[in-house]
Amino acid sequence: MMVVSKPKKISYWKRSSNARIALLYLLPSIILFSVFVFYPMFRTIYLSFFLTDQAGEAAIFVGLENYTYLLESDAFLNSIKATFLFVLYTVPTGIIIALILALLANEKLRGIGIFRTIYASTMGISVAASSVVWLFLFHPSVGMFNKLLNIFNLPQIEWLLDPTWALFSVSLSTIWLNTGFSFLIILGGLQNIDEHLYESARIDGASYWYRLKRITIPMLSPTLFFIITISLINAFQTFGQIDILTKGGPSQSTNLIVYSIYKEAFINYQFGTASAQAVFLFICILIVTILQFKLGEKKVHYQ
Amino acid sequence: MKNSSKFALLALLLLSLFALVACTNSESSSSETDGNEAETEKEVVTNEEGKTVISFWHAMSGAGQVSLDAIVADFNTSQDKYEVQAEFQGSYEESLTKLRSVGGTKDAPAITQVFEVGTKYMIDSGFVEPIQKFIDKDKYDISQLEENILNYYTVDDQLYSMPFNSSTPVMLYNKDAFKAAGLDPEKAPETFSEVIDAAAKLKTDDMKGFSMLTYGWFFEELVATQGGLYVDEENGRAGDATKATFNGPEGLNVFRFLDTMNKAGTFGNFGTNWDDIRAAFQSGKVAMYMDSSAGIKGIIDNAPFEVGAAYIPYADEVKRNGVVIGGASLWMSKGIAEAEQEAAWEFMKYLTTPEVQAKWHLETGYFAINPSAYDEQIVKDAWEVTPQLKVTVDQLQSTEPSIATQGALISVFPESRQQIVTALENLYQGMDPQEVLDTAAEGTNRAIEIANKTK
Repeated sequence: MMVVSKPKKISYWKRSSNARIALLYLLPSIILFSVFVFYPMFRTIYLSFFLTDQAGEAAIFVGLENYTYLLESDAFLNSIKATFLFVLYTVPTGIIIALILALLANEKLRGIGIFRTIYASTMGISVAASSVVWLFLFHPSVGMFNKLLNIFNLPQIEWLLDPTWALFSVSLSTIWLNTGFSFLIILGGLQNIDEHLYESARIDGASYWYRLKRITIPMLSPTLFFIITISLINAFQTFGQIDILTKGGPSQSTNLIVYSIYKEAFINYQFGTASAQAVFLFICILIVTILQFKLGEKKVHYQ
Repeated sequence: MKNSSKFALLALLLLSLFALVACTNSESSSSETDGNEAETEKEVVTNEEGKTVISFWHAMSGAGQVSLDAIVADFNTSQDKYEVQAEFQGSYEESLTKLRSVGGTKDAPAITQVFEVGTKYMIDSGFVEPIQKFIDKDKYDISQLEENILNYYTVDDQLYSMPFNSSTPVMLYNKDAFKAAGLDPEKAPETFSEVIDAAAKLKTDDMKGFSMLTYGWFFEELVATQGGLYVDEENGRAGDATKATFNGPEGLNVFRFLDTMNKAGTFGNFGTNWDDIRAAFQSGKVAMYMDSSAGIKGIIDNAPFEVGAAYIPYADEVKRNGVVIGGASLWMSKGIAEAEQEAAWEFMKYLTTPEVQAKWHLETGYFAINPSAYDEQIVKDAWEVTPQLKVTVDQLQSTEPSIATQGALISVFPESRQQIVTALENLYQGMDPQEVLDTAAEGTNRAIEIANKTK
């Protein structure tokens, strides 16, 4: 350790010259990160130990009380449950759909470009715009979905007003919205796979499914790993569609953690509890990502 | 290698520490300047013609914004000393959030429009100059304004802000559906049990009998019209409220009223969005519902059937107390130059003139805060065409002034309203009325407790 000072000929100043140069190069990003990432992060952690006054400044130090309150609060436990359910509904389905579409669009056909453009098109639509469109589709009295159900004489569904359906409805719109991006990334991954591998396999008489299982998926695994990580983090941080479609309701069934943080901070002006929730979310995402890297990365095949 | 990474880490920690310290410094210095500002001379913004320029933050979108912009333009051309710049700052919540960051400094807008439930917050914030000061100085005759609106904004006998856009809830009903169900279309049901009966008769396969937007404001109104209080300390007007009282008998009446219809299948739940419930009414999915008086003009004009407007219902065993006003008022900033405050005051006075108020009332459906506006010819003509507008004014003017109809004063209203929304949603899922109300009261109590502790 550093405390044990050994007599050395080279001075500390000289020894650390590499570090100083490194630091110089890193300085721009350290400054930017400090202002936009580290400072807000430390400030959030700091605020999570306080009750805040009406101007949002720390007023009374309460230690861990905000955290214990959260863990005992039914509303927050419900938010955690809703968030995990939402992740479970959207991430696997979204990626599987994107993968199937990408496999289809990867075939060499005339005019395949048109399909690729259409499949990827949801990427170009903002969350807000698409949510408004979905809002009309789900509309309780004039919505398209209920009109369709009516034609087939099926019972009407209160898509966004029934707590048992609301999370499903929001998930549906999210899957639709995210498919474009996942599709594009996976298609990019597919195009990168060396054509020779398929040629050799074909010469060996391998079937389509065999090629899919033995060549496509393994060669695609880095891309899939990337898209799973990104999708997971995105799903945990979903906000826009909730704000527009349900505002966290009905009966808190779609009150995902990020939305709950927003409400706590900017409607209730309780920055203390909101910060505690934010720290909690940060820890959740951190754990999930670490787990993913530990468990998932072993299966990833890098060329 | 190890040393260098430690060094980097140390530098990083130091840097973030600086950032933290820097921030704390700026906070304390800004609060110091707050105190000194009263003595130092402040700069007045003037334009090239030498007019005093002030900014006016508002949250009016749609028809309200068009109307307001026209009023501001008229004011600017009506005299040559002041120029008001109206700036739309998003919803009431968004505009209030922005005000928090500049409130009390010279960068604050001279006038801000703040919603009614932000009243207590604004008074406590210290950002504002009570307009009572200008009323006294100017000997402005306050009695020309609507008493029931002034009541809301008068706290400790002081008028803090100038009422501007005020509305109340009304019950709208489909007269054609009333005829079809064999009900008298000219006589709307008045009490809870009458509404329940009418809803049962009105219900068809496609149409529900009654609906209410899942929004705390309507609950507050239904409690107030029974004379019920929302919080203790005389609705928070005698001192800082400490406890919610809306889970008492009056609140329970309201929840039972809704629960009865919900269980009978005559209640339609159309969620928390104003447009959704209006669309439901216009497309014949619900026969009666509660809306804001500020929205009814559009509904009447667009509905393919005849629309009736009525007073909001009340519990059978009590007498009708009337309604609490909703909407927003205009607040004058403290800490800006005196000339700017003068300009703001002149603009506020201009807004309350009968001519402006008449125009405002007809274009938006908000009340005229100056009742002499109702004598203006354009208003009389318009009431001739849409008599429903008059119903809303009658309902307000027949309101009995009391603590209940004055409206509650708490700083945590937005949070409490959310608790009510959740309670209503749980009720519609079949939970017990008393249980969901108590949960909402507990949540409100915690919010009040924190607000009182950190004040």
